[in-house]
Amino acid sequence: MSGRTRLTGRLPDTVTAWLARGVIVFLYVPIVVVVVLSFNDSDVTYRWAGFSTRWYGVLAQDTDLLSALRVSAEVGVVSATLATAGGLLAAMGMGRLGPRGRALFSGSLFLPLVIPEIVLGVALLSVFGTLKASLGLTTLVLGHLVVTLPYAALIVLGAHRALDPALEEAATDLGCGGWQRFRLVTVPLLKQALLASWLLCFTISFGNIVMSTFTSGVGTTTLPLRVYSLLKTGLTPEINALGTLLVLFTFVIILGAGLRQMRRVLVGDGTD
Amino acid sequence: MTVTAAPPAPVPVPPAARTGRARHRAVTFALLAPAGLTVLALVLVPLVLVVRNSFALPDAYGGIEGGFTFANYTELFDPVYLKVFGYSLGMAALNTAVCLLLGYLVSYYLAGRSPQRQGLLLLLIIVPFWTDFLVRTFAWINLLSPGGPVNGLTDALGITHGPAQWIPSQGASFVGLVYAFLPTAIFPIYATLRGVDPSLGEAARDLGCGWWRVHTRVLLPLVRPGLLAAALLTFIPTLGVFVIPVLLGGGKNQLVGNLIVTLYTEFRNQPMGAAASVVLLVLMIASVAVLGTAARRLRRRTS
Repeated sequence: MSGRTRLTGRLPDTVTAWLARGVIVFLYVPIVVVVVLSFNDSDVTYRWAGFSTRWYGVLAQDTDLLSALRVSAEVGVVSATLATAGGLLAAMGMGRLGPRGRALFSGSLFLPLVIPEIVLGVALLSVFGTLKASLGLTTLVLGHLVVTLPYAALIVLGAHRALDPALEEAATDLGCGGWQRFRLVTVPLLKQALLASWLLCFTISFGNIVMSTFTSGVGTTTLPLRVYSLLKTGLTPEINALGTLLVLFTFVIILGAGLRQMRRVLVGDGTD
Repeated sequence: MTVTAAPPAPVPVPPAARTGRARHRAVTFALLAPAGLTVLALVLVPLVLVVRNSFALPDAYGGIEGGFTFANYTELFDPVYLKVFGYSLGMAALNTAVCLLLGYLVSYYLAGRSPQRQGLLLLLIIVPFWTDFLVRTFAWINLLSPGGPVNGLTDALGITHGPAQWIPSQGASFVGLVYAFLPTAIFPIYATLRGVDPSLGEAARDLGCGWWRVHTRVLLPLVRPGLLAAALLTFIPTLGVFVIPVLLGGGKNQLVGNLIVTLYTEFRNQPMGAAASVVLLVLMIASVAVLGTAARRLRRRTS
């Protein structure tokens, strides 16, 4: 009897395990294909015509894409810095609130996570329209700040909550003022989380297309917006080369942020 | 607090304590201000403005004229727009269902591995999650193009004969949506499933439950909070997508996201765009409410 149930339990488990492995492979096939086809010598992306790195050369000469890259990098650096700083201050401030205030504040802080990004974009555009503000780098940064701040808060808040409060108390007892305690105790202890927050916010900003659609102006086209308009006329091997570099960039970001931070954000792992 | 006698007139302590408390409050306020003001000025006020604009009349340039009308909403009842909403809801529901199913499958597989293997496999899911959204979308143009890799495979297997027109199509658009949201759906399911004691499944099996019943009667109810979270993170964002239907679907079958972008950038009808955005917002609030009630009922039953 028990042998039979074991057997009926094991076969479906084997099947589902293979299906799961298949799904994980499914996640990689498109990425691998982009990387492989970026080295394709053909003018048609998907027909293999021998190995070549010429599309990377074409990419390096593409001034339109490079200027879009510059806009994205600038906006990414500024919004990641602002979001991480805002997240850090909020984390420290929330530690000083009562439970009800904390719940209310974190509720509003994480609100943008559940609102469709396109609505957030439309909403910001309405404000800029009412204020007659011209769209450009500033409006892009503000838009990206809205998108990145909840993630920064999520990472820094989690790390700050995991800190032993005795460390900050000890610093106070040893005569540290607020600023010294912040500079010598809080920030060094949160260094990993702050780095992870900055890198992830930069990545989110750098790849953002929805918010940018509503907040970028003439002359401040971001890289994703530029690529999107190129893709509307068709995929070129040059875009595959760019995609490959972006995949590489993802690996660097994940390595930089650290797997432990990633896991804490995505699946709520403890600090172990 | 326990002092009942009137304190002697000039005591230096209470004022100092009071300034101390005031200072504490000022510092707390200063710390919370940057993030709080960002949310207030860039999220809450703008949302109120969108709601207001959705009742406004358009001016000659498609901007906001002011005034008050329900016309922007009644115009959304045009069959053309109703079709977009219906199609979006169906597509989002289908995408959510597939993502939950595959997400559960992968999570169950992950949770059954050794801790080291789980870490590695999780990394394998984190990489595509953080890979640029556009890259993950245009990757499918490579794959599905006539004479592309998938077509080559089906030709070799004798399923197709020669170049197949799979792109643009609704099917390609759907595959793109599943691919975009699957990693997002896996994380919350895995996070919940990992917290479930594996001996519960074994106990059910020892008590004679077959594989199907172990999952439907024991494990699925326990991971329902994770499934609800995954559904929330898939369903609403799918409605707002506009890149995938354009690049993979040829722009023929639009989602609400496409409608909003078109109303704002091409038709230049901001009040109607605002109305469509408010409808999306209401759909979001409704699904949060429905899922929230489901989660609460679940908690009551299990506790």
